[in-house]
Amino acid sequence: METCFEVKDLNLYYGEKQALKQLNLTIGKNRVTALIGPSGCGKSTFLRCLNRMNDLIENCRISGEIRLLGENIYDSKTNVVQLRTEVGMVFQKPNPFPMSIYDNIAYGPRCQGIRDKKVLDGVVEHSLKSAALWEEVKDRLHDSALALSGGQQQRLCIARAIAMEPEVILMDEPTSALDPIATAKIEELIEQLKTTYTIVIVTHSMQQASRVSDDTAFFLLGEIVEADTTRKLFSKPADQRTEDYITGRFG
Amino acid sequence: MESNLKARIRPGQARRKQRTDRTVRAVFFLAALISGSCIVLITLFILMKGIQPFLPGYAYGSVSLKDFLLGTLWRQDQGVYGVGFIVINTLISAFGALLLAFPIAVLTALFIVKIAPKPVKPLMKTVVELLASIPSVVYGVFAAGVITSLVKGLASLAGVSTAGGSSLLAVILLLAIMIFPTITSLAVTAIEAVDPDLELGSLALGASATQTHFKVVLASAKSGIFAGAILGLGRAFGEATAVAMVAGNKLFGPTFNLFDITRTLTSTMLAGLKETTGLDYDIRFSVGLLLMVVILLSNLSLNWVKKKVGNGQ
Repeated sequence: METCFEVKDLNLYYGEKQALKQLNLTIGKNRVTALIGPSGCGKSTFLRCLNRMNDLIENCRISGEIRLLGENIYDSKTNVVQLRTEVGMVFQKPNPFPMSIYDNIAYGPRCQGIRDKKVLDGVVEHSLKSAALWEEVKDRLHDSALALSGGQQQRLCIARAIAMEPEVILMDEPTSALDPIATAKIEELIEQLKTTYTIVIVTHSMQQASRVSDDTAFFLLGEIVEADTTRKLFSKPADQRTEDYITGRFG
Repeated sequence: MESNLKARIRPGQARRKQRTDRTVRAVFFLAALISGSCIVLITLFILMKGIQPFLPGYAYGSVSLKDFLLGTLWRQDQGVYGVGFIVINTLISAFGALLLAFPIAVLTALFIVKIAPKPVKPLMKTVVELLASIPSVVYGVFAAGVITSLVKGLASLAGVSTAGGSSLLAVILLLAIMIFPTITSLAVTAIEAVDPDLELGSLALGASATQTHFKVVLASAKSGIFAGAILGLGRAFGEATAVAMVAGNKLFGPTFNLFDITRTLTSTMLAGLKETTGLDYDIRFSVGLLLMVVILLSNLSLNWVKKKVGNGQ
């Protein structure tokens, strides 16, 4: 297994409060890694360390290192804007920009200075096809993205991330605002996307984690209790707390 | 523990509540009826008064609608009422002010919400709101002394003479200053209301802060910002007192030269009113009616612009 992210001794503080404690984790390339745990356990905070979105929060301090394909992303030389083109993100609530479907997809490339219409057309078509949305929207690319259904909007957001051709796609509870049918479509999509991308997904649903992921890390109170292949973690958890959580005894 | 709640409810409570609902609904309806009928009555009154001078059989002589609308001379002393040039002057001064104030106001709003350090933010918001609440006559007095001498200085630099600084440029500058706080404060509200998730989404795609502000934040706040522009433009069109103090009230036109004196629809309605009967009085309603039409059409055109801009690139 090739390594995508290598997390070493990661600590994160909001002011005085320590939110992540001494995390160590290896995330495999072209695999789906699920982060599970009860609310407030730090899994979303950890996800946002991987593309340095926590930089935007005041009083947030980080120690330790995270290596993406060998490079420490918390190195002072790292260009954060550059990093985020390599590590895309999909949010809990679909957040399409108030523009056309086409412009949503072309937004990222345009921000990098790509103006060639032919290139953009190609990116838009390829991204929408990869996100299994092309057939549904190809005749109305210039309509507002806000007219799409919630599930379609979320797939648009995935397509928007794909347009940047990132190495990794981070997903922060991407289906929690969607109905079961839309959720199934996204899960199916994740399965297809992992051949090209590394995916890290935060989820509240243990069924979802077991359905879509190859590896799972269980978070509790800012620590990683256990991380292993999903099959092993769900069938033979090494830690009692993991077993209590996955069998529904708390959380 | 059993509190026996149901037994404590007074008999007939449900019926009383229904009755209150009915009464309150009637009160609301009455309030809406009063405010609604005021608008209708005022509009009807202006409409009737304003149309009168152009109708045959009008008691105080008659004015040709064509001469009124297309006229290039306003001499109330001679009974010549042409407002064509005044409409053009009004459009130039109001849109000139908007052109000047709008970009500064939007950038200021963006600065206040997104860039200003935390302690500065409420201070700047208060200042902008205070500016918006200064009565227009104060602006007028300020403009009559300060802006006019500024314009006079500018004109002498350019080698042209002005009527003591009273000029189209002075009107535009004055109006720009007056509508700036209105647009800014609405833009601040609109920008503050932008979903933070949209900004995060943009940053997560590798957009810079500047790209995010201009392409996503402003695009999302578009409706509110244009509402500010429409309100500001309305204020620019409707301002009479302050404008009359620096316009110079030219009798013919239109005025395209920035250093020349001008005349707006509002300053025309205000200037030289003596009687409250007769043609000279009634014709002011015609001017007012025309002003309302101009404002309506301007708002429609701004709405059209709103639809065209800001949808990506």
